Amino acid sequence: MEKGRSLVRWTGIGLAFLLIAITGMRVQGVEAPYKEPEGLRADILVIDTLKVFGELERPAVLFLHDQHTDALEKQEKGCKTCHLKDASFTLIPDTLDEAIRRIDPLSPKFKRLKDESRQEVMDIYHDECIGCHTRTADEGYESGPVTCGECHQKEPEVVSVRQEMGMDLSLHYRHVKAREKKCGVCHHKFDEIKDQLFYAKGEEGSCRYCHREVKEENRISMRLASHVACVNCHRDMVDQQKETGPIRCAGCHSEKMQARIKKVDPLPRMERNQPDAVFVNITETAEMSADMKARMAAVPFDHKAHETYNDTCRVCHHEGLETCSTCHTLAVAPDAGKKVNLEQAMHQENTKTSCIGCHMMEQAPKECAGCHNFMPKDRKQDDAFCKVCHSVAPAQAAAADKDEESQKAANVLEARKTRMDPIPESEIPETVTIKAIEKEFEPAIMPHRKIIDRLQKGVASSKLADHFHTDRATLCQGCHHNTPPAVKPPKCSNCHGKPFSEKKPIMPGLMAAYHRQCMECHKNMGIEKPAAVDCAGCHKEKKK
Amino acid sequence: MSISRRRFLSWMGAAGAGTAALARPGHSATTQHFEGYADAGAVLFDSVICIGCRRCEAACNRVNDLPAPERPFDDLTVLDERRRTHWDSYMVINKYYPNGKENPPVYGRMGCNHCLEPACASACFVRAFDKAPTAAVTYDETVCVGCRYCMVACPFEIPTYEYHKVISPRISKCTFCHPRLEKGLLPGCVEACPTEALTFGTREDIIATAKERIRRHPDRYIDHVYGEKEMGGTSWLYLSGVPFSQVGKREDLGYIAAPKLTSGALAAVPIVVGLWPVLLTGIYAVSKRREKIAKEEKENAVAQAISAEKAEAEANLTQEKEKAKKDKEAAVEKAVKKALEDAAKEAEEAGKKDSEEES
Amino acid sequence: MSHDAAHKPIMSPFVIVTGILLVIGLFITVMRFTGGLAATTNLSDYNPWGIWIGFDLLVGVALAAGGYVTSAAVYIFGMKRYHSAVRPAILTGFLGYALVVFALHYDVGQPWRLPYPFIMQSGTTSLLFEVGACVALYLTVLFIEFTPAPLEWLGFKKARNLVVKLTMVLTIFGVVLSTLHQSSLGALYLIAPSKLHPLWYSGYLPVFFFVSSVVAGLSMVIFEGSLSFRYFKDKMDEAHMRDKEDVAFGFAKAASFVLAGYFAIKVIGIAVDNNWAYLATGYGAWFLVELLGFVALPAFLYAVAVRDRSMTLVKYTAGWTVLGIVVNRLNVSLIAFNWHLPASERYFPHWMEIGISLFIVTIGVIAFRFIVTRMPILYEHPDYEAH
Repeated sequence: MEKGRSLVRWTGIGLAFLLIAITGMRVQGVEAPYKEPEGLRADILVIDTLKVFGELERPAVLFLHDQHTDALEKQEKGCKTCHLKDASFTLIPDTLDEAIRRIDPLSPKFKRLKDESRQEVMDIYHDECIGCHTRTADEGYESGPVTCGECHQKEPEVVSVRQEMGMDLSLHYRHVKAREKKCGVCHHKFDEIKDQLFYAKGEEGSCRYCHREVKEENRISMRLASHVACVNCHRDMVDQQKETGPIRCAGCHSEKMQARIKKVDPLPRMERNQPDAVFVNITETAEMSADMKARMAAVPFDHKAHETYNDTCRVCHHEGLETCSTCHTLAVAPDAGKKVNLEQAMHQENTKTSCIGCHMMEQAPKECAGCHNFMPKDRKQDDAFCKVCHSVAPAQAAAADKDEESQKAANVLEARKTRMDPIPESEIPETVTIKAIEKEFEPAIMPHRKIIDRLQKGVASSKLADHFHTDRATLCQGCHHNTPPAVKPPKCSNCHGKPFSEKKPIMPGLMAAYHRQCMECHKNMGIEKPAAVDCAGCHKEKKK
Repeated sequence: MSISRRRFLSWMGAAGAGTAALARPGHSATTQHFEGYADAGAVLFDSVICIGCRRCEAACNRVNDLPAPERPFDDLTVLDERRRTHWDSYMVINKYYPNGKENPPVYGRMGCNHCLEPACASACFVRAFDKAPTAAVTYDETVCVGCRYCMVACPFEIPTYEYHKVISPRISKCTFCHPRLEKGLLPGCVEACPTEALTFGTREDIIATAKERIRRHPDRYIDHVYGEKEMGGTSWLYLSGVPFSQVGKREDLGYIAAPKLTSGALAAVPIVVGLWPVLLTGIYAVSKRREKIAKEEKENAVAQAISAEKAEAEANLTQEKEKAKKDKEAAVEKAVKKALEDAAKEAEEAGKKDSEEES
Repeated sequence: MSHDAAHKPIMSPFVIVTGILLVIGLFITVMRFTGGLAATTNLSDYNPWGIWIGFDLLVGVALAAGGYVTSAAVYIFGMKRYHSAVRPAILTGFLGYALVVFALHYDVGQPWRLPYPFIMQSGTTSLLFEVGACVALYLTVLFIEFTPAPLEWLGFKKARNLVVKLTMVLTIFGVVLSTLHQSSLGALYLIAPSKLHPLWYSGYLPVFFFVSSVVAGLSMVIFEGSLSFRYFKDKMDEAHMRDKEDVAFGFAKAASFVLAGYFAIKVIGIAVDNNWAYLATGYGAWFLVELLGFVALPAFLYAVAVRDRSMTLVKYTAGWTVLGIVVNRLNVSLIAFNWHLPASERYFPHWMEIGISLFIVTIGVIAFRFIVTRMPILYEHPDYEAH
């Protein structure tokens, strides 16, 4: 009965959604299927161009780009209404040039190619904007403002919800596929002698390695580069009436639209000659001094697996696709890698670009947080822990070439036993009775085995946990901390005194140790019952 | 006894003798800073660990023999309203929602912080408050007059008053369980805390512990130990995961110990006592002398006037006298002349008569 | 029986009003000492001091400053012209201080312990101790300074002459003590920078209080003189009648200068702490009312009055200035104090607190009247006219 009613309800809701979706599509057309709520826009351009000539006299103008694109479309006009042809963007001799040959690459500037003088730029905006708005209105279309205050608003009516856009591995793969692996359509390098761009096979990297936040030397900003390359190319495809990416702002920069970008699954591996496995190691060279040669054991690193953990290569390869030690050397060279040496680059906490930093962020989910939140940050690890990664002597890691190294590293990784056998249930006490405060309360019965089960289940599918929980009693250390892993670890009261030692206030007394351990773990793992202040939830109050 | 170890200002010589101040020098402008007694206790309240169970409040009530509250201590709905210390509650736990009601609450403690250099002790005019070597700021109800200046002075608004009592109203505030400390016991609240959100130790250890907790979990704590420096340092210290102002702690109190705030004004006392009488006597002397000079000048003027008059009168008299003399002489001369003329005439007439007679 | 009774009906308006106030006062007194502070006041743990301190103590002491100001002017600065103003001023001062001490018995929790700071143990680090010691000593000084009048009245010539010989020492002692405790009343609040609004809190608080007490003293002499002239004209001898205007204009001129100086240091006080921004707030507006309306304005009005020799303007300005002192003391002690607290925790006096304050003022008026109508205050005793 109950089930039937719910079915009807869900069908109703589903139908309603369908109806709205269909009508919505009809009204909005295929091109712009999604609109942000009133006042929130992903297409805001701030026109404060005059800033380069000095202080602004009036508030900057917030320009809604998509609104203009739509309006022009209605009047059957195109981008060239506002943007001029800019021949300087067809600089890559072969592929990109070819890709967009059919259309004119356009300057992103409004009605000009350069910002010559304050007066000129101001006149262009005033004459062209107001002129067009007036003409459009005369022609009977809905049009824009013509008075000063309507554009130069002190308190704008719209708020930007623009999201950063980037190319993740999936989107990259779709472009590779669509362009039939012609990488040169996008990737290029600069030939200083010939003073031109060219494509270099096998040296492709992220656009952002060269195109930075703002223009540097002759390299245009990432913003400009991406809009010139992406939008022009998309326009060309639209011209050819082929399926392509967005040309409107919201298409890339609205959160909702980003979520609609198709993901390739399973995602084929990127082809850039990267190794399957490597040794993170300092290769011994002839000019190395003797003490430099004494160094940590090499770390076999599963490059192939890590490729799948991140959206882009840039998470680790933040400045280039070279090996880490290219910049992060043992001793810090003054200008290398922003003075981060190799040790820090691998071990620094609170950053996604280091091994430990990234691994620690992986401890945030509640399955892990129960134990890991207790552990102090930036602590010295014991020696055995270092060996979990640093497992191959430098000499053994030495290899004639990259392929050999990769093979060697892969062999080590393969040979590593990945999972410990669990401790047999019979060896785990089922319950532990705690009588520490029996004056006031009945003993608390702690479901010891149940807790361990819960912890084990939480990490069952984690390769990271498998790798670093090296002992079958490692999980026990979540509670039985500060002792070596052992199936029969010391009891809490072995260390935690009663009530506590004034000489060492950092170590809580027994009562606090129990309470804090239980309560914080419950909190971190999202276990809401019993509440921290529900005393009777764990131990009944004694009747007097 | 212990107060002598504090570098407080002291200026009164003997009030009973009725003379004003004699300054003991060197204290008002001191750069010294009292760091607390060696090995004195301190308590750390960690609002990240506090679960808001009110067992500390219950213990405080019990060990201090305070009256039972209207609602029992296990009624946690009491926390829904903001409370403060009261004559019958030496400390309270308050519940705050710094991250909005949808997120878990944070608890804060209000109670005496047992300053190293307490404002109340500095303000009390019968020295009812004392910073004991145990670190407790104790209160002596046998001398308290009930002026309540300590309540005005306390930056933490801790001391409360038994306004309802007629005969012997007292200040009441957390005692740091001074009698228990002396017996080597823990303060009641610390002993009762199930999670050791309240921890006891020497102040050095407590500060080290607090900083170690911050170091171990920088993501959980604000990097500040409240009370380490506030108002010159306190013996109760606080850790928090949110800005302290959001758990009922004022962040604008500054690091200057309360006694230093008034030391300048107290230092002015010897200046006034020393300078005023000298200056005023001087002014009095000047105005007195001015009066005297004015008086003398007046007298001189009068005397002069009198003598001038006298001289003139004398001069007149002489003149008169001389004139009279002259007149007299002239009269005599005249008379003599006349007599002579008469005689001559007579003689002539006689001669004529003779000649006539002769003729 | 009494001088008044012979001429006036017993039930004069004065008798009726004071009678009612006395009865109410006695009733509240009983309430206070049987029901405690809680029964009669709105004091709380946040607001330990109410109008019994803010008005009775702070305002009372400030307005009783006429004694030391006048005696200093006459005996130390040698302004003999104002001699006729000394005795009324000393009397007002003496009554003022006596009533301050009397009022404190209501406010403190255990009034019988008031001598404790001097006989049990002394909290010499407390500014309140300084205030207490100075007030106690100064009250004694004022009493001795006042004694010639009753001694003349009673006819104890030898004693009277002995006391008169002490005048100089007593005056200097009085000025020292007054300087100390008038300023210390302001310094009481130095310990609470976190509670007093920054516009009123200043390192100069003691200076503000001292300088404004001079203003209060001068204005009170004028104010009280004009009231005496109105109500006790028949008690005044020729010298008092003759000097009355002279005293008023002289004191008005002095008050104008001191007020101008007071205005300047108040402004410096804001500048030193860079508190200008607070002026734009609600408290800032109220501060400006006090600074411009009750300091700058009377300074100007006194000056105008002296220039135009307008006795009326002097009188009204004196009244206004006295009111300004009341406003200032209440601002520091109550209005700008605890400004950080939410409105629900702020203090407003209980009617019984106001009742006691009125009761004490009434006692002062009655005592003044009793003494003035009997002792040689507004006239010189015929036996001692030579000096």
